[in-house]
Amino acid sequence: MTATKALEEEKTHSLIIGVGIAILLILTIAAVILGATGYTPSEKIRPLAQFYLYYAMNIFKKELWAATPEAVNSMVWDYRGYDTLFETSVFFLAVIGAVAVLRLPGVKDVTTKGIFSGRGLSLIVKVVTKFIVSFILIVAISIAIHGNLTPGGGFQAGAAVSIATLVALAAFSRIFLEERHITTKLMLPIRVIGVVGIGLVALAPALIALTGIFAFAMQNQPKVWAPNFGFPPGFGDFWLSGNQFYYNFLEFLAVGAGFTVIYLMYSIPELIYKEVLKKK
Amino acid sequence: MIELPLVIELLLAFSLTLALIFAYLTVMEKDLIRAVVFSAGQSIAFAYAYYLLFAPDIVLAYIAVGVGIYSMILIFAISKTERYEKV
Repeated sequence: MTATKALEEEKTHSLIIGVGIAILLILTIAAVILGATGYTPSEKIRPLAQFYLYYAMNIFKKELWAATPEAVNSMVWDYRGYDTLFETSVFFLAVIGAVAVLRLPGVKDVTTKGIFSGRGLSLIVKVVTKFIVSFILIVAISIAIHGNLTPGGGFQAGAAVSIATLVALAAFSRIFLEERHITTKLMLPIRVIGVVGIGLVALAPALIALTGIFAFAMQNQPKVWAPNFGFPPGFGDFWLSGNQFYYNFLEFLAVGAGFTVIYLMYSIPELIYKEVLKKK
Repeated sequence: MIELPLVIELLLAFSLTLALIFAYLTVMEKDLIRAVVFSAGQSIAFAYAYYLLFAPDIVLAYIAVGVGIYSMILIFAISKTERYEKV
């Protein structure tokens, strides 16, 4: 095939793709105009959204409130708390699956110190990364502990804090993290503490119910049918939103440590895998 | 339908078109590392669309997952194979 023929073929190729995308776009627009998306409820008739926005921080209707000004967080951890509880357990199991696939048989904790040099990237990148990592840590912790007041929450904060280890891993090396004790040996227990803590906070009302006071699992604030139990919504200016502060912080630990474990497993050099497999 | 201001609608159209362009570049790119960078660009365009649609909670999770975690896992995967796609 000559060069001009190949070029011509590529031209027709991109022409076909361009025309195809244009036809797809026109068809989509036509479908939407003709009502393919079905009925879109208007802003005025969304009673569920109105309910959440009206009651999430309604101090005059404390039998229905969630004690948080952040309506999204009130849904995630209070109104649909069980959903989030099972999401957390799914994530927990997913990380266990990843660790099971990537594990080294018979090796508890991999240290590359002394085996590899791990000089990392240039000095400029390293200095900038040090600043960025500290900023990411501050932002992530603030997302976690302000999760019940501003947009954000446990999962977002955990994902953000795991980026700090990722950036450090890329710019420095695995040894940099190992020297600071960020290893799978430390991160796996932190993850378990987070998930067990969430479970305990969720079950605390049920345990209290054993003493005779009526309360239900995952209860946050006193309700009409369970009026005698509720987490304290806040101490003075320090607003906890009942149990949502604890949930956010523990989810932050669980998700942050979980993602970090996955990166640490991924960053094990191939040479170590080969050595372990050779011994077998 | 919720009536958005015209500026937001235009910015939304811009960001979503940008996402489409990035998606096309990602699929066509033969250098896989560059394809990952284009994919991260697509994630940023989507995150901006979420921001315009008043969903800051989604933005916070999406930036971290779409740009950071997803890209890094793909780069780890590419480092175990070859960088250039052969036709």
